[in-house]
Amino acid sequence: MFQTVIMSLNEGFLKTLEIFFLTLLGALPLGLIISFGSMSRFRPVKWFVKTIVWVVRGTPLMLQLLIIFYGPGKIFGTQFNIWGTGDIGRNVAVCVAFIINYACYFSEIYRGGIESIPRGQYEAGQVLGMTKSQVFFKVILMQVVKRIIPPMSNEIITLVKDTSLARIILVYEIIWAGQSFIKSSGAIWPLFFTGIYYLLFNGLLTVVFGYIEKKLDYYRG
Amino acid sequence: MKKIISVLAILVLALGVMSGCSKEDPNMTDSEYVQDKGTLVVGITDFAPMDYKDENGEWIGFDADMAKAFAESLGVSVEFKVINWDYKISELDAKGIDCVWNGMTIGDEVLAGMEVSNAYCKNAQVVVVKAQDAENYQTLDSIKELSFVVEAGSAGKKTAEANGLTYREAETQADTLLEVSSGTSQASIIDLLMAGAMIGEGTDYSDLAYTVSLTEEEYGVGFRKGSDLAEKLNQFFKDSYADGSMMKLAQTYGVQESVIAQ
Repeated sequence: MFQTVIMSLNEGFLKTLEIFFLTLLGALPLGLIISFGSMSRFRPVKWFVKTIVWVVRGTPLMLQLLIIFYGPGKIFGTQFNIWGTGDIGRNVAVCVAFIINYACYFSEIYRGGIESIPRGQYEAGQVLGMTKSQVFFKVILMQVVKRIIPPMSNEIITLVKDTSLARIILVYEIIWAGQSFIKSSGAIWPLFFTGIYYLLFNGLLTVVFGYIEKKLDYYRG
Repeated sequence: MKKIISVLAILVLALGVMSGCSKEDPNMTDSEYVQDKGTLVVGITDFAPMDYKDENGEWIGFDADMAKAFAESLGVSVEFKVINWDYKISELDAKGIDCVWNGMTIGDEVLAGMEVSNAYCKNAQVVVVKAQDAENYQTLDSIKELSFVVEAGSAGKKTAEANGLTYREAETQADTLLEVSSGTSQASIIDLLMAGAMIGEGTDYSDLAYTVSLTEEEYGVGFRKGSDLAEKLNQFFKDSYADGSMMKLAQTYGVQESVIAQ
């Protein structure tokens, strides 16, 4: 019994990790683009992006998953179901929903970081003859990264736990794996046992972030 | 240990009943016994759409309403008693209840321990597909290649397994319908009773239809072994089927497709 449970939980946790890393991979760069949008001096772009961030942050991720996955087929008819009937479509839908959702949260953290860098840093770059993009990527962004590590680690740890929402559209991540034992054999401990996986993985993340923070602590800016 | 406890419990119950009813005439038939005490005690569980509570806390449902009508025909009042389903036969024998009327599947165990009425309702595991494709999926062979979604741990899942179908598991039967309706799965397997109530015209799933029946079962009402009430109920079923009142009730609860002609 114990071995079957562990095997099943391991399989579920692999799916959890897959969602986690793919989401990070997509949401980290997308969040930066969105943050540029919300800081744009061109008003229509700024308001458009702000509205999207408002909607995405203002509604539950669970609802977004349901709408992204079931919405096309249910609202516009089966021929518009872009996800197909296989596993791949389901996984892609999960990633799309998570990436959009987390990119919006990340964008606000980036914005806070970018706006906290003093004007003097830009001016110093210009004086040295750097172009606008050189100033941003070589001077500003490095300092932003350093400043946003604590809020980002917060959000990323939340992401680990939010992956459990994927089971709403029948993606078998670890909570689903644990829960399935309640129905099949009446055992509830596998569900509780999943907590250990989360706890260990988040412990690892905490250590990694602590290490990164220390590494970046080379000067006080 | 569990068995010993349940046997003891039954003995205690039986003793209590015997001592309480010591004046009872042993030649009295079961229907006379019920008419004498003036109430028909119906053993149920909470099982929509057969027996469930309305917002006022009163028991309604296809079975509950039929039981009320049957009690009326006997000239007695009706009392619903929620029982532990595993002890339904002991409850009958101990006279805690007078009948079991709760979408009870007629099987060997039930037939051995009770006097069972004629089957009045059938249930089956049915395949649900998009209504517009329904005509292509009327046979067992035609559905073999579809991607199914079933409720985890349900009879539908067992059916899918037994037929070697590829399936994904959802938490509830209702979730499986959303999958089929939005096209993210091609077919689902659910109870016929539920299909009758939840899909088709006039529901939120008017785009769905059910086609093939996979496993079938029949519902009956159980009485004490040797009771003459079973025969009385069969007659009542015949009468109320003939005058249309049974079908009318069935339509109220969306089980008209499952009722067996009497």
